[in-house]
Amino acid sequence: MAELLSAADEAEALEELHRRGCTDGLPVIIPTPERVDRMVLASGLDADMVLGTMGPGNGVATVEKVAVSAVMAGCLPDYMPVVMAAVKAVIAPVFDLTEMQATTHCTAPLILVNGPARHLCGPIASGYGALGPGHRANASIGRALRLTMINIGKARPGVSDMALLGHPGKFTYCLAEDEEKSPLPPLHVDLGFNADDSVVTVVGAEAPHSVIFSGSGDDPRAYGLLLDMLAIGLANAATNNAILTSGTGVVVLNPDHAAVLAKAGLSRRDIADELCKRCVMSPEQQLHLMPGMVGPDPPPRPAFTDPSQILIVMAGGNGLYSMVMPSWSTGTHKNSPSSVTVELGASCAI
Amino acid sequence: MALVTDEFWSQGDFVAESLGMPDLPRVRLPHPVAGTGTERMQEIAAEVAPAILAALEAADG
Repeated sequence: MAELLSAADEAEALEELHRRGCTDGLPVIIPTPERVDRMVLASGLDADMVLGTMGPGNGVATVEKVAVSAVMAGCLPDYMPVVMAAVKAVIAPVFDLTEMQATTHCTAPLILVNGPARHLCGPIASGYGALGPGHRANASIGRALRLTMINIGKARPGVSDMALLGHPGKFTYCLAEDEEKSPLPPLHVDLGFNADDSVVTVVGAEAPHSVIFSGSGDDPRAYGLLLDMLAIGLANAATNNAILTSGTGVVVLNPDHAAVLAKAGLSRRDIADELCKRCVMSPEQQLHLMPGMVGPDPPPRPAFTDPSQILIVMAGGNGLYSMVMPSWSTGTHKNSPSSVTVELGASCAI
Repeated sequence: MALVTDEFWSQGDFVAESLGMPDLPRVRLPHPVAGTGTERMQEIAAEVAPAILAALEAADG
């Protein structure tokens, strides 16, 4: 059982949670036993079922403790299956949660949601401003994961979370793919899941960086120019990916940009291949920017060594701007993504 | 044996504690070490080498 605190009223309880460092700095919903029980019920699982441990504090993540974070974050019970999947994804060894929480880099877990859960556990926004304010499911699901990382994983700034500045996505960072508008198969299908599966993919990512592109539909070079622009943003020479190589980069194509690439006949794999070829630091750049780190005659330095290191999703409104997220690149598994099926069958309607 | 700079000392305490190894031998280095240049790094190495040897000997029992 989670530790039960007592307070005279909810205002006092909120101040106590702030004092204990249990919040993200914003007000939270007080996780009363009744609210937590309701969230546990929505998971369809036993409260004391253990999902795993969360570093760096090695706290044990039970369904009940995850439910506490979901309540605090403002989740509706409907969101619980996605929150659970996100927690399972970061607990998976491939995610290197302990190292990721402790690093001085600004990495934050970006939650990408595919499949029916986008609608059944939300709606989780994928269109205009999906990474901004105004979308309850996106805001509270990402926040719930962060609160588990704070309260179960024990990440505290300057003590166990050593991010020098962090970034705003450390409050919440959750997005659904706009599968209905996308000319590409859904991300989870290209990752090997069935189309009717619901899947959460979590990857450590920097803040989103805007990439502007406006090409002419008559210009046969348009898709290549778009790829050039995306590559410049994704692996500019100041990124960990360019300097340390590898890691996982994320590209969020808006519908117009996705259409440009689809019109050129490119699959998701083709797009990743083309970006890999373009995300390369020249010998001249290396000699200028990396003195002491390279020999006198360095070969071209690819930021990504395999196309699978670039995740491509389609989301956002129509227009000039797509987004790229460079990444941390380190950890035992080199900042790999982690994908987990959302268990919808086990959940109970509340 | 962990070499930990001043800035990360409390993080070292936290990690050692959470791993169940609160007595994990650690030697404190000034901060920063990285990027200070060869001469300064050699100075730091000379300063902390005795502490590292002492800690290793103590660990050997």
